[in-house]
Amino acid sequence: MSHPPDDLRELERRLQDITFEPRASLGPEIRGRWSRGEVPRAAPSRRPGVLALAGVAALLGLGAGTLWLVVLRPARQLTVDRCCQDLDGGGDADDGVVVVSQSGVKVQYLKIYEDLDRSGNYSLGDPVRFLRQGVPTLTGPLQGVRTAEFCCLDYDGGGPSDDALVVMGHPPDRISMAAIYERRATDQPAALR
Amino acid sequence: MADQPPAPDLTRPLSGPLAPPEAAPGGVGPQRAQDWYETYGRAVYSYVRFHLPSADAAEDVTSDTFLKVFRAADQFDATRGQPRTWIFRIAQNTLRDHLRRSRVRRHVPIGSMRDLATDAPSPEERLLWEEQVARLLGAVAELRESDREIISLRYGSGMDTAAVAEVLGLRESAVRTRLWRALSRLRLLMEGADP
Repeated sequence: MSHPPDDLRELERRLQDITFEPRASLGPEIRGRWSRGEVPRAAPSRRPGVLALAGVAALLGLGAGTLWLVVLRPARQLTVDRCCQDLDGGGDADDGVVVVSQSGVKVQYLKIYEDLDRSGNYSLGDPVRFLRQGVPTLTGPLQGVRTAEFCCLDYDGGGPSDDALVVMGHPPDRISMAAIYERRATDQPAALR
Repeated sequence: MADQPPAPDLTRPLSGPLAPPEAAPGGVGPQRAQDWYETYGRAVYSYVRFHLPSADAAEDVTSDTFLKVFRAADQFDATRGQPRTWIFRIAQNTLRDHLRRSRVRRHVPIGSMRDLATDAPSPEERLLWEEQVARLLGAVAELRESDREIISLRYGSGMDTAAVAEVLGLRESAVRTRLWRALSRLRLLMEGADP
């Protein structure tokens, strides 16, 4: 049966008559976005209800963290897991970065992973695209490398969202170097961390 | 690590524009993918527009869809299906993300259809047609998601039931059955009854 029942044919005909036309400049605009290297907007990583719950949890965590900082000894190591962005240039905002820093200042460990199971953070089984410890390290060829900066978030756990993540690699999934530095409003050079 | 960061709104190259990636062996390449907009852009836009109450929102989703298509063109495997099927699946995901992000209102405001194609000979007839379309799409928006999706794919994009079946991963006979049921529920809504 390739046609709807008789009582639905009029409704189908009216639906078939509806046609929307995009404006003529939309195609050139998309090509312009592509040539400028723009990325599509990232998908929301959480449902709104879960976001609200996460917000409450974050507030509770903030309170507990403040108590910890004021009353107890400050933690010596901070671990931050930021997900999900298109760090490797693969086209999907499914990459995350784990940063372990000393008091939010000196980065001791940096790992970029693909959030394969869409858990919103690193978990066992997520492929690791880049890993370094200590100082920034170049692990691949520089020829044809794509360099991108992601700004501004609190990547190192230092507090304000003033950190930028620099990623060099070959899309869609090879990363040769990644480093974090603090963006400063003044002319002072921003040291890699 | 209790909170998730917002998606960064700034990605900029350190020196000069980012070079679009070259096609991987076996991929079709971004240039060929850009031709796909000419072929499928209107169908994708109209499909998205069936879901969204404004032309601006439909343009945003269409734009993001094809940006993803261009960026992932080298991953498209022609041996596994038609580009149309692949593109519409990307459009479905992009639309889903948009709806989750914006939680758009479902009603279709009158006067928001500057992109509605019509050969109505007079402004009065065009206005009448816009009102009819607004009422129809308003009723479509009241349907459950699976009904909205199958109606939008079939009548928004203009694909036949075989192509819709490919996109949804269903048998064509199943698509027809679901489509007729969705139309029945739509008709009931149009008549002012519960579906």
